[in-house]
Amino acid sequence: MVTVIKRSGRHQAANAPAWAHHVLDAFRAEEVRNLVFVPDTVMGRLLALAEEDAFFRPIAVHREEEAVGVLSGLYLGGQRGAMLVQSSGLGNALNALGSLAAAYRIPFPMLISLRGELGEFNPAQLVMGRAVPGCLSALGLQHLTLRREDELDVLLSGALKTCYTAEEPFGILLSGQLTGWKPER
Amino acid sequence: MERGDATRVVVELAGEAPIVGGVGNTTFDLVPFDRPTIFHMWNSMGMASSIALGVALAQPDRRIVVLDGDGALLMNLGSLATVGMADARNLVHVVWDNGGWEITGGQPAGTSFGVDLASAGRACGIPHTATVDELEAFRQVFAEAIADDEAWLIVARVAPGDSPHRPDKNLVRLRDRFRAALTASA
Repeated sequence: MVTVIKRSGRHQAANAPAWAHHVLDAFRAEEVRNLVFVPDTVMGRLLALAEEDAFFRPIAVHREEEAVGVLSGLYLGGQRGAMLVQSSGLGNALNALGSLAAAYRIPFPMLISLRGELGEFNPAQLVMGRAVPGCLSALGLQHLTLRREDELDVLLSGALKTCYTAEEPFGILLSGQLTGWKPER
Repeated sequence: MERGDATRVVVELAGEAPIVGGVGNTTFDLVPFDRPTIFHMWNSMGMASSIALGVALAQPDRRIVVLDGDGALLMNLGSLATVGMADARNLVHVVWDNGGWEITGGQPAGTSFGVDLASAGRACGIPHTATVDELEAFRQVFAEAIADDEAWLIVARVAPGDSPHRPDKNLVRLRDRFRAALTASA
């Protein structure tokens, strides 16, 4: 099938925000090469940058639960990767996180863009978005929220190191404070 | 055909190829032939095809076999589209089709109502698909698939029946032996 299609859609690497550079630098430092994603506006900006960088391999899946399976398979096959999803999509992945990744102790960072927190215009994004930290806590998985650019490097490098020490998925939540939000009301 | 007989054929012909065993009877049947290159799932039904895709992408120089069930695959049917899109040529996906979920008491799935998983695979871009009813036909098509260099989806219609076997329940041990076997010579 066709493989030359741009995975990040209309997003352009030249417009990538600073936080996306910090995230990719932290991933590179820990050999996190495979970016297993379900499309999201915030993640699109990161993917546009990653697609221009031969170190990274974006892997598209159609539902977030698949990402947990693919990341588990990659780890079993000797490769590291990260999950890139929106908060609503985390809900689609919860059983696989508990029954596969956490149960078998398979580590990967989960980069989750938060809806429903700051600047939300869509009432249907509120409930799952707000539930993300609680869901991860209920699964016994560590998580933190990235809010400020000056904190990015220490939080990212610290989270990734702990993720692989703990051998568990680790939630890295992206706040609208860092990534902005749409003007729509 | 009996699932256990067909499983024996898979293990014999797969050689050193890693095998991902799907939740329930699918992976229980592998226990008599157990070896480190078998990954046993104990939960997350439906994830077998996605796990195998990850292994296939991490280990492009090996053929990767996944044993799945029709009920399990129907819980993650989108994974066929993902496999087609990823162009994972080294994946050999075998689906034991007994028409439903044996492990929970033989409830029927869509396959008992005419859902054709091989057609779904073709529609999703899997280059080679087959549906077989007899053990000898399965042996022939699996032998072709494991020797090929493109992706396969083989739907094998099997008789119902519970497996008496169970794999190790230490999940980290299951993880470590499989990962070690795959990365030792990589």
